[in-house]
Amino acid sequence: MQVKARAARRRELAQVLLLTAGFLVLVAISAASILFVDRARDDSSLVVHTVEVENQISAVLLDLRRAESAGRGYLLTSEPRFLTQHDTALANILGNIRRLRELTLDNPVQTRNSDALQAAVETRLNEFRETIAFAERKDQQDGIAQLRATTADDTVHRIAEISNAMRREEDRLFAARTVSADRSQQWASTVTIAGSGLVVALAALSIFLVRRSSRARDDAEAQLRDNNLNLEETVTERTVDLREANEEIQRFAYIVSHDLRSPLVNIMGFTSELEELRGDIFKRISSLSHPNSPAPANDTDSTEPALEAQDAKLSEDFNEALGFIKSSIGKMDRLISAILHLTREGRREFQPVPVDLRDLIEGIVATVAHQAAEADAQIRVQPLPTIVSDRLALEQIFSNLIDNALKYLRTGVAGDIAVSGRTKLGFAIIEVTDNGRGIDAKDHQRIFDLFRRAGAQDRPGQGIGLAHVRALVRRLGGTLSVSSALDAGSTFTVTLPIQWALGRQGKTS
Amino acid sequence: MSKPVTIIMIEDDEGHARLIERNIRRSGVNNDIKPFTNGTDAIRYLFGTDGTGSVHKDEALLVLLDLNLPDMSGIDILRRVKESAHLKHAPVVVLTTTDDAQEIKRCYDLGCNVYITKPVNYESFANAIRQLGLFFSVIQVPQAET
Repeated sequence: MQVKARAARRRELAQVLLLTAGFLVLVAISAASILFVDRARDDSSLVVHTVEVENQISAVLLDLRRAESAGRGYLLTSEPRFLTQHDTALANILGNIRRLRELTLDNPVQTRNSDALQAAVETRLNEFRETIAFAERKDQQDGIAQLRATTADDTVHRIAEISNAMRREEDRLFAARTVSADRSQQWASTVTIAGSGLVVALAALSIFLVRRSSRARDDAEAQLRDNNLNLEETVTERTVDLREANEEIQRFAYIVSHDLRSPLVNIMGFTSELEELRGDIFKRISSLSHPNSPAPANDTDSTEPALEAQDAKLSEDFNEALGFIKSSIGKMDRLISAILHLTREGRREFQPVPVDLRDLIEGIVATVAHQAAEADAQIRVQPLPTIVSDRLALEQIFSNLIDNALKYLRTGVAGDIAVSGRTKLGFAIIEVTDNGRGIDAKDHQRIFDLFRRAGAQDRPGQGIGLAHVRALVRRLGGTLSVSSALDAGSTFTVTLPIQWALGRQGKTS
Repeated sequence: MSKPVTIIMIEDDEGHARLIERNIRRSGVNNDIKPFTNGTDAIRYLFGTDGTGSVHKDEALLVLLDLNLPDMSGIDILRRVKESAHLKHAPVVVLTTTDDAQEIKRCYDLGCNVYITKPVNYESFANAIRQLGLFFSVIQVPQAET
């Protein structure tokens, strides 16, 4: 059982651990998913950023071309339309360059590049302004010459180089960021798949454990049922055994007491015969020693014959011996009768009937009224419950207790005997209280033993009453107890089931 | 007139038998007393070799019966006597130490005529036997039918 209990505890712990593990895995998956999705979003936004930077570079270059061509158009035609276009493009370039610079702030290489680009573009813009100045001075020839010079100069090359470098850098970044974004997404899906797999595995393990433990529980239940059945069987067997043993004891007591009686009849019979012989012998001795005295009128004359002192002593001794024999026989007979009586009571079938205890006890009190008056005692019967039990047994129980109370009063003290009762949890508790001589605490157990008595032995009795009462109370499924102290009265408490059913306490016959 | 009654005493305890016999004699009954100390001998005598009891059909018998016999229960003898066509009219006096009401009732149910408990108190015992003697002297034991 110990091992099993430990195993069950271990299984329980394993399940809790599994559930916890599953929960933790779920939390980890969620966290990882959020993390990776976040990273993927960051990566995507970086990719978008790269594209934006490229766009911006393109926009700057486009506007440069536009400004350049508009400036050329203005130089050639002097139409203000071109000048307006030129100015718009210039304004755009400055805005776009600023924007590009802002966008590339996150990357020092690109920041440097964009600074360089800005410087180059500004140089170029100054060249444009010179071209426009030529155009406004209507100095077309010099303007064209200046155009030619500037179109082929370093600035244009630098702009192209820088923008190409930025493009390359952005392309590299784009590629790297795309890869990173892909990786993040891959990670996210891997983690999700692995986590889900783990959760499924944990769930499967958990189901397996639950099924195993429920199987173990079913087994345990089946075993418990078996055990219960076995227990009941065992109890029944033991009860039968006990009943048989009890019957055996009853039979034994009955046979023994019965068979003891037979020789006792002989002993008593022949002792009486001896007594008669003794009479005859001493009459004969008397007539022999007093030959002159007249013979008794008849044999049945019971007067003691006149004897010499020596013979009288003999006769007395004879009488004493016979007296002891007879009183012992009488005592033995009473004991045997008591055992017979008890065994017969033990064999009697009890009949449960409703009994009004107050009526019953008042009936008993009426039968002992004479004794009570002689002992100068009053018996008070308080309200008592009605119970279902064996009427005869109840009568014997309470008449014994009341008899005892009357029998063992204190001399010189008016007796006061009270019978009171109450009910509690299906039991009737009846107390017989007296103010008599009481019982020493050391004798409280002894008084319930057969043939045992306590206190001053100045009242007739065999030491049977309380043993009998206790046997009866037990058979009725109750208990009997005493609380008492010397010279302080006694209280006998009888606890009986209110509803006694035949067979509940087991038949003893 | 009928033959004098023979008293069949079935009693395993010789002391009891002696006491019973003495007290019967003291009450002035002088009929023959045939003592048996066990059930087998008594049954052999009562029912004869053929087991019907016809050997005693012309005799007047009175049975004094103890219930506790070494080889059988006196109840069985009582039953057989009362079932026998030749013996059922013989009075049966059950003498035993038991004063168990159920056993007494059973004996009367089986046809026992008198039931006497052997008291240890010798006076009562002697009285009972003597009264039985008086009873013997007044009853007319019918002869078994032929």
